[in-house]
Amino acid sequence: MDPLIITQILNILFGVTTLAMIALGLAITFGMLGVLNLAHGEFVMMGAFCALVVDRAGAPFLLAVPLALLVCGGVGLVVELLLIRPLYRRPFDTLVATWGLSLLLRKLAEAGFGLGFNSVAVPLAGTTTLFGTDYPTYRLVLIVICIAIIAALFAWYGTSRAGLKIKAMVGNPDLARALGMPVKRLATTTFVVGSCLAGLAGVMVAPLVPVHPYLGLDYVIKSFFVLVVGGLGSVLGVVAGTGVIGGLDSVMSALFGSTQAYFTVLVVAILFLWLKPRGLFAHG
Amino acid sequence: MPPFMIIDRRTMLAGTAGALAAGIVPGALRRAVAADGEFKIGLLIPLSGPAALFGPSNQGCAELAADEVNAAGGVLGRKIKLIPTDAGAAPAEVAKSVVRLMLEEKVDLVIGSHDSAVRQAVEATVKGKGAKSFYLIGNDYVWARNSNEAAKSYISAGGGTIAGEEYVPLGAPNRFEEIVTRIKGAKPDVVLITVIGADNVNFNRAFASFGLDKDITRLAFLLEENTLQGIGAESSGNLYSCMAYFANVGSEANQKFKAAMKAKFGDKVPQLSTLGADAYAGVHCAKALVDKAGSTEAAAVAAASQGLSFATAGGTATMTGRHVDKDMYLALCKATEFEVVKTFEKIASGQSCPV
Repeated sequence: MDPLIITQILNILFGVTTLAMIALGLAITFGMLGVLNLAHGEFVMMGAFCALVVDRAGAPFLLAVPLALLVCGGVGLVVELLLIRPLYRRPFDTLVATWGLSLLLRKLAEAGFGLGFNSVAVPLAGTTTLFGTDYPTYRLVLIVICIAIIAALFAWYGTSRAGLKIKAMVGNPDLARALGMPVKRLATTTFVVGSCLAGLAGVMVAPLVPVHPYLGLDYVIKSFFVLVVGGLGSVLGVVAGTGVIGGLDSVMSALFGSTQAYFTVLVVAILFLWLKPRGLFAHG
Repeated sequence: MPPFMIIDRRTMLAGTAGALAAGIVPGALRRAVAADGEFKIGLLIPLSGPAALFGPSNQGCAELAADEVNAAGGVLGRKIKLIPTDAGAAPAEVAKSVVRLMLEEKVDLVIGSHDSAVRQAVEATVKGKGAKSFYLIGNDYVWARNSNEAAKSYISAGGGTIAGEEYVPLGAPNRFEEIVTRIKGAKPDVVLITVIGADNVNFNRAFASFGLDKDITRLAFLLEENTLQGIGAESSGNLYSCMAYFANVGSEANQKFKAAMKAKFGDKVPQLSTLGADAYAGVHCAKALVDKAGSTEAAAVAAASQGLSFATAGGTATMTGRHVDKDMYLALCKATEFEVVKTFEKIASGQSCPV
């Protein structure tokens, strides 16, 4: 096969897997807890800044992973306890509260790091030859890691006891509580996991983009499209949603151009909202 | 209400046109002049939102210019008072469109001077590097498209060919893997870049990560100090920028400008770039124009523009036939610094200003 076609196929794979990684955290908080977290992008941004801090300190890039988990998990924990918990089942209030949170987090990042563009050095710089084409090594590794994380989460949610409990909590929180399940703690854990995934995604994209306080905005919109198309409440929905949104975006971009790709994604998202508002794999 | 008039960028342009407009931009003169007292200049600059990273530079340089004008007696005998006005806004979507607005406002005005720079830069790469084929990548709006139209005519005049041309939406979260792959397939000698801001960073990082920076020369027409910082040392190989101002241009005028900024702000000198230099020139231009016209009437201002001289960070500029001749520089990126490799002196601005 033409090496350029292989490169474009890898591009599509890269687009889909990284988008899935970013949408995953959002899918968990939104789909399972019903919390529309508008600050999700800011958790991605915080993860990216963790990578920047590690890069500036001259430490190995991988140290950014525990740092991001600590920072994003910690912030996620505090946010859930103070902001989200009192507002469960009040979707509009949650929306406004998390919007305010996103402003606060952006401004804090601005106060700490300024507004300028920063760059994080690419770990594993250079290209690797695969099927007769040179592809950036770091992007190849990202594809593999994203697939591994999504598969692990898929397996864990489908088979583990914790996954079962979360399903019970999502399905009927009152009954779950009556059965003695620690619903509040479960919800907190779920939110923290969602925040950690966002932070992890932030670390992953940091070497690819300019790291700045508004970084999260670029990702959160497409992630919402993924949920609109895929439907809420299942890992399968996220995978299907990213397949459609990320795949369409990359394919159209490869065939026609970015403007046409962006246009197509918008049209598809609108069509889904209109004709199939529960998405492809709605829960329940 | 005292009689006042507002000079918006269109009226101002009618009076000044072309390259000079570059001087007015971020200080985009939307200003009200009180009949007496202070001479107020509203500075429309981004203070919030993503584009706010350019704000401090714009404001600092404009303040320096205001100080200098006031020390020399002010405008029509009145002291200048700058009124910074936020052209940015916080919420996600508004912020994005502000980047678009601000940068668009900026660059479609610059066209008068950039137009000519495109020609010099393209000719320099054709002659200097023996470049034959060009790939054009830009944001989808007027400045990029017009610059590329101009570039294409110079390329074909020089016997070169266009290997590809494409545009990405302005203000959208763009990815560049697909485009870089197409460029890889087209194998051009030179890529002409008219994407701006974060797109400029993303494109260049993706380009280098695919290993294309070794064989293909990149030439950008709006690449300033902050953007290069984002591109980073490892992605800036074989990358050129062509603009009217770089912070480390060695000219005497720029040394004086930088010393004055240092004297005013000490350690807190904002990052100097073409955007700040434009704000500086904008205030000086306003003074020169209004002083010569004796009023802020549009017709008088238009008449006064002929033969007008005013200070810029690059030295004194003189307007003839409603255009300004100025020096342009071609700089090679060395890690995250610009190194001027060629100076094009007294470049007359083009006549194809689309504004």
